[in-house]
Amino acid sequence: MRSHRTARHRLAAAGFAVLFAATLTACGSSGASTGSTGPAALKWASSYFPTHWDPVVSGSGAQFRELALVYASLTRTDETGKAVPDLAASWEYNTAGDQVTFHLRPGLKFSDGEPVDAAAVKAAIERAKTQKNSALFGDLTSIKEVTATGLDVVVALSQVDHQIPQLLGQRVLQVASPKAAADPAKLDQNPIGAGPFTITQLVPGTKAVLKKNPDYWDAANIHIDTVELVSAPDSSTVVSGLQTGVYNFADIVPAQADAAKKAGLDVFVQPGFNAANISLNVNKAPFDNPKVVDAVRHAVNREEFVDKLSFGYGEATDQPFPEGYIAYDKQSKDKYPYDPEKARRLLAEAGVKAGDIKLDLVIPDAQPAAEIVQSQLAAVGITLNIKVDKNWSKPFFAKQLTLSLYGTTGRDSAVQTLTAHFGPNGPLNLSSPYEPEGFEAAVKKVRETPLEAPGYPEVLRAATRAGLESRALVFTYAAPNLIAKSKTISALPKNPAHIDWTGVTISGR
Amino acid sequence: MVRRVLSLASGRISVVILAAIALLAIFGPLLAPQDPLATSSDTLAGVSGSHWLGTDYLGRDVFSRLLDGSRASVVGALEVALMALVVGAIPGILSVYLGRVFEWVTLRLADTLIALPFLLFAVAVTALLGNGITQAMFVTGALVSPLFYRVARAATLAVARSQYVEAALISGASLGWVIRRHVWVKVLPPIAVALAQTLGTGFIIVSSLSFLGIGVQPPAPTWGGLLASDLGYLSYQPWAPFAPALLIMATVWASNLLADAIRDVSGEAGRALFADRKTRQPVGGAV
Repeated sequence: MRSHRTARHRLAAAGFAVLFAATLTACGSSGASTGSTGPAALKWASSYFPTHWDPVVSGSGAQFRELALVYASLTRTDETGKAVPDLAASWEYNTAGDQVTFHLRPGLKFSDGEPVDAAAVKAAIERAKTQKNSALFGDLTSIKEVTATGLDVVVALSQVDHQIPQLLGQRVLQVASPKAAADPAKLDQNPIGAGPFTITQLVPGTKAVLKKNPDYWDAANIHIDTVELVSAPDSSTVVSGLQTGVYNFADIVPAQADAAKKAGLDVFVQPGFNAANISLNVNKAPFDNPKVVDAVRHAVNREEFVDKLSFGYGEATDQPFPEGYIAYDKQSKDKYPYDPEKARRLLAEAGVKAGDIKLDLVIPDAQPAAEIVQSQLAAVGITLNIKVDKNWSKPFFAKQLTLSLYGTTGRDSAVQTLTAHFGPNGPLNLSSPYEPEGFEAAVKKVRETPLEAPGYPEVLRAATRAGLESRALVFTYAAPNLIAKSKTISALPKNPAHIDWTGVTISGR
Repeated sequence: MVRRVLSLASGRISVVILAAIALLAIFGPLLAPQDPLATSSDTLAGVSGSHWLGTDYLGRDVFSRLLDGSRASVVGALEVALMALVVGAIPGILSVYLGRVFEWVTLRLADTLIALPFLLFAVAVTALLGNGITQAMFVTGALVSPLFYRVARAATLAVARSQYVEAALISGASLGWVIRRHVWVKVLPPIAVALAQTLGTGFIIVSSLSFLGIGVQPPAPTWGGLLASDLGYLSYQPWAPFAPALLIMATVWASNLLADAIRDVSGEAGRALFADRKTRQPVGGAV
């Protein structure tokens, strides 16, 4: 009798153990490798919630980071900023360097069930080149023709260009399902890609709810089950939101870093290529006079921007990227040092008296940087009226403004950064079609040089030097990508300018 | 009316506060100890002898900016109130006399303006006409005007059917004369109440709009603008919003208090109270 009872107890204990083990296994398979219970939920408050979810319309700006939740791209970048496989497992150039063939991973599909094949990639490239509201067509001028064969995408180029794998990453070629992209307007608010997550709910401009995509090619390394992406409210409230658990991840402004640290949050700088500038239109008076432009160049005190805006996290730069980046040209450093006396002299030589120049500085929202520019130019006799225009992007990208401010988050291809700023059709060149003399030839030389060639950095810097002759831009300072997160979220890969969720875990849920 | 208002404690307090604010608006920019627009490297500094309220994110003296911003804040509120008065009160009076078409059109217009969310509408109009104090105040003044329209119309309706008004019209008095001589006198007290109320509302509107970056443009200071910029640096200066907030609150409170005082003395009860006090004063003195 006793042995029967013991046997029953053992059987019950064994059953409980099996059940417990099964439960643990189930938890493990949900994607969280931390062994804790509940789904791994990322609650991300973003100050740049995407307006457009069609990557062709959204363009290469900061919002590509959120779109990368949904879309995979042909290539991605590693921690050194170098192109590595994403949807394409490998690629090779022909000997001449004017054709590159990408080999896609087999068996992949978009979240609508469509196959990820060469035809889908071809459609994505052609759409980016031809769609009426494409923000990317200017970046794809080297691409002459795309041929699709099974999983092989052959990209024929109009010129030798070794930047293509670097270019066709998350900023320029996030690939959407061709079936969904047949209706671009619908895709814009109902994104369908082959990225690490799929959208389950999207409230335009406010909130997106996503869940892990089990069909993503690297799903095994995605340990986040759900993402709730929200448009961050006023920056002064973000830290409170993080403190109370409303969010567990947010980009913050430098002024909030101290409060975030005091609140016990993990504050870190994600490496990036950010650089702020003053954009001038040399096609309009008074900047059609080179002496006036030079006066502005010498009137700018970059250290003031750093001291007052970055709270110890930024640095001065006179180039479209921070110092230390491969394309940063040391020879061009301090070419136009802060010298208000010289600025006044140049204005006098241009025949301009103090108070003669009165301009609108048009910006999208009130920002202290505008007040600094205003006070620095006032000191040399140029009067600025700060004009906040909520519809700023339209006249800015239509090159209708005379003076504005812009901040770039950089590009994965250094050439793309340079052409975006200094090229005749560069979206960030307020003076289009103006381009500095010798820039085109210098860029051509960079394109022709393989990235691994020993002379590549010097050729690239020569192109930077040529670009910096542009009278259309005065660079000021490099702002950081400052992020505050709950300590339950593990460290992110230090992928420059990207937010990469590969391998990231959320514990203690 | 002024004597009656000042006879009440609430009237005296509100007038003193509003007078102080008015003096601040007139002389504030002259009293500013430092250039309110001059930046310095001493950013987000605490309270000191040289900076009574510290410095802001660009190293500007906050006390000087507060004084300098008084004028824009007060003038903005006045603009809203006067714009609303002109656009609202005159059609309100005329709607009683100018026939059914005018009455119907102005009533529907007032209904429409009431239905519009003023902040949203102000943002939309400034986006259309340009972001400036004139545009912003024009819009908000128009949106507040139905209050004056209704008050003026209701008061005029009450007077218009009075026998002495009808008698005047029958005797051949012109409509303009009747309005000036009889109607305006009766309409004035409720309009004064509305005006005082609208001053308070105007302050809130001007402060809200400048808080949102609409209206007065940087670097010109306003109380609402100072409040907005302070919020971004709370971890460095948690006390900073108090000064502009206190000024806004005091002004709005005083305006509402004044409106209450005017209402009290202009109504039947108020007049009775005033008359009672007047008659009792000698008695009290005799005791």
